[in-house]
Amino acid sequence: MPAMGWTATNKDNPLMEVSMFKKALLALPVALALGAAAHAEKPPEEVLQGLIDSVDSAYLTQSEQNLLMMPDNPALWVGMDGEDLFHTARGPNNVSMEACDFGKGPGVLEGAYVEMPRYFEDTGKVMDLETRIVHCMTEVQGFDKDDPAVKQRHGSGSDHMKLQTYIAMQSNGMEWNNPLDHPLEKAMRDAGEVLFARRAGKADFNCFACHGQSGKQVRASVLPNATVGEDWTKAISWPAFRVGHDNVRSSQHRVRGCYYQMRQAGMKAGSDASIAVISYWTDLARGQPAILPDMKR
Amino acid sequence: MFKKTPLAAGVAAFATIIFAGGCAVADADKSGKVDYTAMTPHELAEYLMFEANGGGGFNLSQEVQEGGTARERMQQDELQKACSIIDDGKPDAETLSAIRAAAQESIVYPEGGIKLGDWKKGRELAWSGFGYRIGHNFDDHSKREAGGTCYNCHQLATDRTGGTVGPSLTGYGKTRGTSDAILKYAYDMIYNPHVYFPCTHMPRFGANGMLTEEKIADIMAYMFDPESPVNE
Ligand code: HEC
Ligand code: HEC
Repeated sequence: MPAMGWTATNKDNPLMEVSMFKKALLALPVALALGAAAHAEKPPEEVLQGLIDSVDSAYLTQSEQNLLMMPDNPALWVGMDGEDLFHTARGPNNVSMEACDFGKGPGVLEGAYVEMPRYFEDTGKVMDLETRIVHCMTEVQGFDKDDPAVKQRHGSGSDHMKLQTYIAMQSNGMEWNNPLDHPLEKAMRDAGEVLFARRAGKADFNCFACHGQSGKQVRASVLPNATVGEDWTKAISWPAFRVGHDNVRSSQHRVRGCYYQMRQAGMKAGSDASIAVISYWTDLARGQPAILPDMKR
Repeated sequence: MFKKTPLAAGVAAFATIIFAGGCAVADADKSGKVDYTAMTPHELAEYLMFEANGGGGFNLSQEVQEGGTARERMQQDELQKACSIIDDGKPDAETLSAIRAAAQESIVYPEGGIKLGDWKKGRELAWSGFGYRIGHNFDDHSKREAGGTCYNCHQLATDRTGGTVGPSLTGYGKTRGTSDAILKYAYDMIYNPHVYFPCTHMPRFGANGMLTEEKIADIMAYMFDPESPVNE
């Protein structure tokens, strides 16, 4: 199997598709159950369809199969696990995450994610969803920072991905609108803008090398254009089930992946640099509806 | 690698404006906390990269394939600085011509002139995306040689799917011929494409040390050899 370099690893593996379809069948009732509970006047696939109908984009339309599978997105399962986890009293302090503030007051999740990263008074920092969950686990629930619940950031089976997916789903269809009123929010967004354009590393890449034009491909993958809001909202709609990885993935995972492809240094999970990048990339999608959870190559 | 050229001088001046060397800018306030809002966006970006989160937002101490650490790799040379403009804009005309001149100077030609190597080797090198990745899944060059990643951005022989970030190179030798001028152009493009396209998004495979002279000759054979499937 050739080194694909910048693209997903096993997306061309036919066995993958079989396992996907099995999951899809299982997920059907979940989609219905969660669909009713969450803010699903418009389920994610309809949000995406609305974007597809509004612009001509090779990126948005590149996988008809994914679009068809979205009602049975395996991420919906992960989100359902997250719902349980969120409302369960856990950790040494035996409290649930309902005690945690994601920006709109303790336990309020509706529309919280599309307004992140944001500044939090209690930490004096701009935080993204993942770092805020870490904060909640360690400070509110009392987990040790080395506890697997806190440390394990990746994979559909991780607490992080379950919680992130559940929380993010409460913003499905809503417009990205990360606040920039606080000077720190503005500073982080502006630093992210610089990082986007900053070339470095063995191959001189910045983010625009691959995300500055419409309809361009790296091998078979059509790339999103960061300067087109309709493309970019899908690009940043994480958590998403990545078919090629057979796992639900986060924004942090994507940032790390692109720096890796760029032959630049490994991103530290939740570093301020990663949050600056995410602040800017969210600003780039401002006003566009989020697709949560999404499904990607 | 970069000689003192007008570019180096101009960019050095530019660099001092945007970022006053090291991270001295990040003065801690009374509480011992660094005030991000007191920095310019460029200062903050450098600070987040190299200083924040206990030694930088990236794993900078990791050793890299070319020797040294990721910290060095993340530092920008003059060209990278000059071509890092918000929204990916282009620098002014003077800087662009300085970039072209510096790129020309960077190019080392093979002794005895530009030659074509083995197109079969070149075919695999052009296809391979392996090499120089670090971080969570380090590319071990002792296990496998670094490739050229050309297919990521270019279509070449059509039996494999290539990218479209760069123009199609299908039939390159067949349509362009193999005159000294076109061979030199292709060699320059692979070695340092900023000669012709200042601030291009194509990597400097020769100048950055990603491809050896021999590998460049093999990839060029893949582009130009009449037997190569690129020219079918
Ligand atoms: C060398 C090319 C390259 C560069 C440079 C690059 N990316 Fe990417 N990016 C990709 C590819 C390829 C994908 C799609 C992955 C796939 O389809 O397997 C992608 C996907 C993404 C996505 C998600 C879209 C999707 O559908 O998966 C986001 C968001 C993103 N990149 C952000 C960035 C940011 C931010 C930077 C700069 C820090 C960056 N990229 C730099 C190649 C690149
Ligand atoms: C990150 C994407 C990228 C990669 C990787 C890349 N190129 Fe390019 N290449 C480009 C772009 C973009 C151009 C067009 C120049 C411009 O407008 O900046 C180009 C132009 C060229 C040209 C000139 C085409 C012409 O019209 O004459 C040649 C030759 C070339 N590339 C060869 C290669 C080879 C060989 C490799 C692999 C060793 C390679 N490129 C890897 C992006 C890339």
